[in-house]
Amino acid sequence: MARSDLLKGLSVFALVVLVVVSATVATGTVLLESPEPVSVDASAYDDELLPTPVEDDGSVEPAVDTGTKTVIVDKSHGNDITESELQPLVDALVSAGHDVRFYAGGSSSGLGTGGFSSDSSGLNATLQSADAFVVANPANTYTTGEINGVKAFADAGGRVLMMADPVGPGSSGTSISLPVGTSTGSTVNPGQPTNLAASFGVSFGAGYLFDMTDNANNFQRIHTQPAGNGSLTAGVDRLIVDDPTPLSVDGSNQVVAESTDVQLSSTRQTGTYPVAARNGNVASVGDTGFLQPASATLADNEAFVSNLADFLASGDKEPGVPEPATPSGGGTGGFTQPSQPGTTPTLPSNGTSTPRNGTSP
Amino acid sequence: MSSESGLIDRLGGPLVVFGIIGLIVGGALVPYAWGISTDADGRVAVIEVHGAITADTAAAAMEDLREARQNGSIQAVVLDVNSRGGLASVSEQLYLAVKRTSQQMPVTVAVTGSALSGGYYTSIPADSIYVTPASTVGSVGVRATLPPEGAPDNQITTGPDKATTGTRSDVRRRVEALRRAFVGSVMAERDLNLSAEELSYAKVYSGRRGVELGLADGIGGLGAAIDRATDQADLSDYETVRMESPTPSTLSQIGLNGSEAASEHGTDIDMTRYFMLHGRIDALTTADPIEVKANGTQ
Repeated sequence: MARSDLLKGLSVFALVVLVVVSATVATGTVLLESPEPVSVDASAYDDELLPTPVEDDGSVEPAVDTGTKTVIVDKSHGNDITESELQPLVDALVSAGHDVRFYAGGSSSGLGTGGFSSDSSGLNATLQSADAFVVANPANTYTTGEINGVKAFADAGGRVLMMADPVGPGSSGTSISLPVGTSTGSTVNPGQPTNLAASFGVSFGAGYLFDMTDNANNFQRIHTQPAGNGSLTAGVDRLIVDDPTPLSVDGSNQVVAESTDVQLSSTRQTGTYPVAARNGNVASVGDTGFLQPASATLADNEAFVSNLADFLASGDKEPGVPEPATPSGGGTGGFTQPSQPGTTPTLPSNGTSTPRNGTSP
Repeated sequence: MSSESGLIDRLGGPLVVFGIIGLIVGGALVPYAWGISTDADGRVAVIEVHGAITADTAAAAMEDLREARQNGSIQAVVLDVNSRGGLASVSEQLYLAVKRTSQQMPVTVAVTGSALSGGYYTSIPADSIYVTPASTVGSVGVRATLPPEGAPDNQITTGPDKATTGTRSDVRRRVEALRRAFVGSVMAERDLNLSAEELSYAKVYSGRRGVELGLADGIGGLGAAIDRATDQADLSDYETVRMESPTPSTLSQIGLNGSEAASEHGTDIDMTRYFMLHGRIDALTTADPIEVKANGTQ
């Protein structure tokens, strides 16, 4: 074979190989090119996704100046409430010159003008020198002597504020007897002042209220409106409460605030449920969350907190009431046999609102 | 030339030589010819979405979906879903990946256990969702853990939210935004006999009830989903390719991946997490039991 023929053959061979390889690369590239769409149409991601922040520009005003009043906050019944959670209310009272004390049973720590004090003679003795009494989420039942003492306290002009959150499913009716010294007592998980509230015609519910549509960016944060023109809701157009429990009240109570078109978690029934009520010198609220610093200025909550501080500070209690309970009355503080251990207290027969379950405190 | 002619003649003549060459070439082409006559029209990818949806498990599923989109031989996808959801951000990524795939080829879902929360989010872009009476669907809701309030200990930060990601109101609003996206997506993808409000309760429905409410399309297992996908892809002759999800770790089962697990030991100060998960978040109870939910049942 001639040299020229050999070169010609090699050239043809190289050209053919080049064409084949190029064609292969081109074909592969075309086949592997992704025909994927440029974008994904997720229309729900574009439609008013971000919720509107809740109005939060108010401030809690100092309580009314009525001279130095003493407000006792009960911590002696395993109350599930901390000082920091009550800070806006405490600030409103203290800044007006009032004395706020946390009674822990046998000793109490004071905030404000009164400073620290101690008292070992029980709740009733402590209330003798008090003008207002705050109860929130007690774990233990109040004894008959204590209930009588608080009733006498209120009858004498002392102001009482009872608050409770919904009772968890594990807490309902789980009364446990504990031996304490020579006597016995009853305790449950942090709950509600059921027997104390019943003596004032009030019953706290077991479930919580929620609203799936008209809420403050969460179904458990619901709107509550004033009911009537009471002083507790002066300046209030709309409150925001966090999973409140509804109240059942008798005719001696006036509903102060209620939520409409909301549902109760335990029954899923839609309706109007009282959230706050007042019976003379006794006010009841089915929530404690609105008092917390992060919630006290939402919507018109600050006006409600200020009004509650005024309510606590504006009582005119007779001195020396209640009388110290006798040991047989069980009113000397500490644990005594509860009046109705593990049972449902007598409820008001002419209640104006929702039914409730038989949760014992 | 005369010598070449002699060789051919000695081998039996030109016809015999070219016949042998033809036989060799033909034999070499036999595999190709056999393949042409017997190969399927296309392939159906069966992609597993099993266990908790974490960054790890979702990455594998999204890679499988990408492979399905880019491989010309795959003409339909069937998702084998058995998941109670997991991290919210990853669930959204998976939803978008499935949606992107469904824009390109038929996608069906077989719920082989549960398609709840993020697991259901993953399923909704499919053309059809098949369930069994005992399988479960729904739990359309969001939850988040909250960091503790107050100044962080043993840290110096440049702002109050640096260590906590935001206030609790911020977290609450973000949970609500995620709920709106989740519920809105389900309402947009499915023709439901259920309002957005009812859907937001985040109930868990049985397979049969899910069909009644429009959360699923029919009763059937993996076979029904494959049949439906191949019908839509017009494949009479196909083969299935199973793409299994990675075995989740214990931490993944509870909604965390390895890197997030490390955060529980202090290496990650971002303690707020958002979940589209049905069930307990056990690993977080010791860190912070407080939780924000965007529904009424979880």
